[in-house]
Amino acid sequence: MSFTLNLSFSDLLLLLPEIFLTCWLCVVIIVDFVSPRLPKERLAYLSVGGLLATLGCLAWFDVNQVSGTLFGNMFVLDRMAIFFKIFILGSTILVILASIEYVDRFTLFRGEYYVLVVMSALGMMFMASANDLLSVFVSLEFSTLGFYILVSYLRDDLASNEAGLKFFILGVFAAGLFAYGISLVYGETGKLVFSEMASAPVTPGLIIGFLLIFAALGFKIGAVPFHSWIPDTYHGAPTPVTAFLSIAPKGAALAIMLRIFLVALGTFKPTWIYLLVAVSIVSMTYGNIVAIAQRNIKRLLAYSGIAQIGNVLIGLAAGTKMGNDAILFYLLAYLFANIGAFAVVIAVSQAIGRDEIEDYRGLGRRSPFLAFSMLLFLLSLAGVPPLAGFIGKLYIFVAAIKEGLYTLITVGLINIVISMYYYLIVVKQMYINEPIDPSPISISGPMKAVIYVGLTGTLVIGIYPQPFTDWVVAATLMFANFMTPAATAIPPSLLVGG
Amino acid sequence: MGEYALLYILFAPFAGALALIFVSNRQPTLVRGIAASAAFVSLVASLYIFYGYDPVQGGFQFVQKFPWSKELGIALYLGVDGIGTPLVLASSILLFAGIFVSWHIKDRAKEFYIWLLILAAATIGVFMSLDLFFLYFFYEMSVIPMYLLLGMWGSHTKKYLEMTDPEGLKQRDSVGFIFNFGSNSKEYAAMKLVLFLSAFAVAALMGILLIYKFSGLNTFDILVLREQANLMNIPVLGTTLDKIIWILVFFGFASIAPIWPLHSWSPVGHAAAPAATSMLHAGVLMKLGHFSIIRVAFEILPETTRELMPIAAVLCMFSIIYGGFVAFYAKDTKYVIGYSSSSHMGYVFLGMAALNYISLSGAVIYMFAHAMATGMLFAMAGWVYDQTHTRDIPSLGGLSNKMPFISGCFIVGCMASIGMPGTVNFVAEIMIVVGSWNKYPLQVIVAMLGIVLTLAYLFKMMRGLFYGPMNQKYSHAHDAVGTVDRLPLLMMITISIGFGIFPMHLYEVVRSGVDPLIARITQVVPVAEGDEGLRRMKGEVKIGEYPALPMVSSKPITQVSEASRGGQE
Repeated sequence: MSFTLNLSFSDLLLLLPEIFLTCWLCVVIIVDFVSPRLPKERLAYLSVGGLLATLGCLAWFDVNQVSGTLFGNMFVLDRMAIFFKIFILGSTILVILASIEYVDRFTLFRGEYYVLVVMSALGMMFMASANDLLSVFVSLEFSTLGFYILVSYLRDDLASNEAGLKFFILGVFAAGLFAYGISLVYGETGKLVFSEMASAPVTPGLIIGFLLIFAALGFKIGAVPFHSWIPDTYHGAPTPVTAFLSIAPKGAALAIMLRIFLVALGTFKPTWIYLLVAVSIVSMTYGNIVAIAQRNIKRLLAYSGIAQIGNVLIGLAAGTKMGNDAILFYLLAYLFANIGAFAVVIAVSQAIGRDEIEDYRGLGRRSPFLAFSMLLFLLSLAGVPPLAGFIGKLYIFVAAIKEGLYTLITVGLINIVISMYYYLIVVKQMYINEPIDPSPISISGPMKAVIYVGLTGTLVIGIYPQPFTDWVVAATLMFANFMTPAATAIPPSLLVGG
Repeated sequence: MGEYALLYILFAPFAGALALIFVSNRQPTLVRGIAASAAFVSLVASLYIFYGYDPVQGGFQFVQKFPWSKELGIALYLGVDGIGTPLVLASSILLFAGIFVSWHIKDRAKEFYIWLLILAAATIGVFMSLDLFFLYFFYEMSVIPMYLLLGMWGSHTKKYLEMTDPEGLKQRDSVGFIFNFGSNSKEYAAMKLVLFLSAFAVAALMGILLIYKFSGLNTFDILVLREQANLMNIPVLGTTLDKIIWILVFFGFASIAPIWPLHSWSPVGHAAAPAATSMLHAGVLMKLGHFSIIRVAFEILPETTRELMPIAAVLCMFSIIYGGFVAFYAKDTKYVIGYSSSSHMGYVFLGMAALNYISLSGAVIYMFAHAMATGMLFAMAGWVYDQTHTRDIPSLGGLSNKMPFISGCFIVGCMASIGMPGTVNFVAEIMIVVGSWNKYPLQVIVAMLGIVLTLAYLFKMMRGLFYGPMNQKYSHAHDAVGTVDRLPLLMMITISIGFGIFPMHLYEVVRSGVDPLIARITQVVPVAEGDEGLRRMKGEVKIGEYPALPMVSSKPITQVSEASRGGQE
C-alpha cells in the first residue's frame, strides 16, 4: 500500500465538513481566548452555528449523493458515513444547547467545555468515515480524548473525578486491546482496509484479533461483558456529558461495527452470529433487570442504554441490509428519546439539584410539560406505539425474524415487558405520587428547544416513519450485496459525484 | 362524510385530545366541551356506519387504505365488517357516555379527558384495522392510557383478599393470588394491568411476526394473508407451526378478554379504575381480545382454529363458574361487576368455540350487549362511590330512598346483565346457548348455571346497595338529577332495550360478517354433524369446489349465507 498523498481539489471536497469544523474549532478557541469576558453562552451559540453549517454541508452531500474514498481507502465518505455524521452532529448540537445552563456549575474552563465537545464530535465524524483499522484506532482515540476530560469536568465533585478515572483506565485498557487486535489482524492478513480483508483465510490469530477488536468496540457501545464503566461514569459525569456519551459515541462505534461485521467479516457470518446473539441476549437482559433496582435516574438511563444496545445488536446479528437499515432507524429513534430524557433530567436537576428518581415526585403537577415529555421519551425507549421507539424495535424484529433469529426475538420481546416496569416506575413518581414541594419548575429557552426537538422527532418518526425509512434504506445501499466483498469497495470512477 | 366515516370515528378523539393539550384546566367548560364534541363526532359517525353498513353486500366496507411503510409492508388499512361495526358503535357510545359520567371530575380534568380519548380511539382503531401491524399498534397503544387513568384518578382497591362467605369464613381468589403480591394500592393494580397485558401482547406480536415471516408475502395485510398465506404443515418443535402461532395469538389476545386463568389483572384493574375507565375497560377493552382472536386467528388460520378452538370451550367453563362464584363472595361493588364481566366473557368464548353461524353471531352480539349492560353497572357503581366514598357492600344499604333514579336504572342494568327478554343480552345469550348446544352440551349447562349465579350475585349486590336499612353516614347521598348525569344511563338503557326489541338490523349486520368467516373455517371438513348451517351448505356447494373467497366489498359466498340464514329463521 502506497501512502503517497495525491490529493486533488475535488478530493478535498470529501473532507470539507471535517476541515470546516476544524477551522471553526480554532475560531471558537481563539474567540474564547481573545475576549474572556464574553458570556459563555455566546460561545455555545457560536459552536452550534459551526455545527449547523457542517450539518448543512453534509445534508447537501446527502442530497447530491457525494461519495468517494481518500488516502488509499482509509477514509470513506458514503451515504452511511454521511448518515452517521449527521447523527453525531445532530446529537452534538442538542447536547450543547442542553448544557448552556449547566455549564455555570463549572468553576473553571467554561469556554473550553464547548471546544472539547466539538472536538469529540470531530473525532467521531472521522470514526464514521474510518474504513481501515488504523484510521479507526486513531479517530477512536481522538474522540475519546475529549471525553476523558469532559467526564471529570466537575473538578470539585468526587463522583465526577471517580467517573473520569474509571472511564480513563478502562478506556485506555480497551485501546490497548484494540491495538493488540489490529496487530494480530494485520499480522495474519497483511491488510488493514476492511474491504480487502474479506477474502482472508480464517486462522486462530485472526479470530483472536477480531475478538479483541470486538471487545474494544463493545466497550465503546457498552455491550454487556464490557459495560462495567457505564453506570459509574454516567452517574458521575456532568449530565450533558452523560447525554452526549450515551448517544454519539455509540452511534460512531456502531458505524465501525457495521463496517467490520458486514464488510470485513461478511463472509464469516455463520461464525460471528453466535457471538452477537450471545452478547445481545446478555446485554438486554442484564441491562433491563439491573435497571429495575436503580434509584438514580442517570444510572437507570445508563442501564436502559445497555439494554438498548442489546436491541441494536439484534439488528447486527441479522446481518442483512434490512438489519442494517433497522439499526440506523433505531438509532434515530434512540437519539431523540434519549437526548430528550436527558434534557428533562438536566432541567429537573437544575431546579432541584439532585437526580434521584424519588425527586421526580409529582413532576406532573410541578411542570406538566416536563413530565409529559419525559413520559413520551421513556415510553419511546420502552417501545410503546405510536412513538419512534416502537417502530424502531419492530423494524429490528422484522429484520431479525426474516433471518430466523427466534430466540433473540423472544428474549427481545420479553425484555420490552421488563423494561416497561422500570420506565413506569418513573412515570408513577411523576404522575401518581403527589409532590412534596409543589413549586413549579422553570425551564430555560434552549432547554425547551431541545425538548421540543426530541418530542417532534419521537412523535413524527413514530407516526409517519416513511421518510426516515427511505433515508436509512438509501444510506445503506452500499451494503446491499456486501456478501460479495468486491461490490462494497467504491469504484474509483465514482470518487466524487455531485 | 360517506366513505371517510371511519377516519372521523378514529381521528376525532385523537384530534380532541390534541386540542385539549392547548386548553387550560382553568376553563373546565371548554375542556368538557371539547371532549364531548370529539366523542359526539365519533358517535354520529359510528351510527352512520352502523346504519350505512350494507349487510346484503357484506365484506369490508368503508375501506380506507394509506401506504405507511413500504419497507415493512405496512399500510394504514381501515375497514369494518359485520363483526367490527357493532363494536365500533359500542366503543363510541361508551366513550360518549363515559365523558358524561366523569363530568364532575375536578382533579386535572384536561389530562383525564386526553387519556380517556386516546384510550377510546386506540380501541376503536383495533376494531377497524385490517393490517396486523396496526391491529397490534392500536392494541398496545390502549394499554398505557389505562396505566395513567388508573394511577392518577383511580382509587385504592380494598378487601381484595378479604372476601367472606355467609358463615364468615375467609375466601380468596386463589388463581388470582398466584400473581398477587398482596398489595391493594391503585399503583399496584395499574402496574399489574400494564405488565400483564404487555407480556401477553408481545406473545401475540411474536405470533404476528411468525405469520409475517412464514407467509413470505412481506405484508401485514390481513386480507392478503388470509387468502395467500400458507402456514400449514410446517413442522416445528415436534408440532406444526400453525399450532404454535395459533396458541401464541390466542393466549396473547385472550389475556385481555380475560379468559380464565389469565383473568387476575382484570378485576383489580376494574376496581381501581375511575368509573368512565371501568366502563371502557369492561365495555370494549376486554372485547379487543375476542375481536383480535377472530381477526387474526380465525381469519388467517381457519383450519387450526377448528382444530384447537376446543381449548377455549374448556377454559370458558372455568371462566363462567369461577368468575361467578368470586363475584358472589366479593364485597366490593366494582369487584362484583369486574368478576361478573370476566365471567360473562366466558359466554363469548363459548359462542366462539362452537364455531357455527348462530353461536358466533351470538358471541358478537353478546359483546355489544355486554358493553351496554356492564357500562351501565359501572357508571352506577361509580355514582354510588362518588356519593358515599365507599364500595364496601356490607356498609352500604337503603340507598334507594336517596337515589330512586339510580336504583331504578340499576334494576334495568341487572336485568340486562342477566339477559332478561327485552334486552339485547337475551338475544345474544339465547343464540349462544342454542348454537352451542349440539357441540358443547356440558358447557351450555354450565352457562345456564352461570346465569343463575349472575342472578344471585347481582341481586345480592342490589339488595346490599339499595335496600335494607340505611347507614346514616350516607344520608347526604343524592340522586342523579341533572341531564348530564342521567343522559349516559338513559342512553345505554335505550340502546340495550331498543336492540333487544328490534334486533334485526344488528343481527343482519353481524351475520354478514360471521357467515363468510364460519364458511371459511368449516369449508374443508365438517366440524360437527349437528351443524345445520353446514348441512345446508353441503346441499348447495360441493366441498372442495368451494369458490375462493373474494376480496373486499364483494359478496363472499352469498348463496351459502342466504341458505343458512333461511335455515334458522
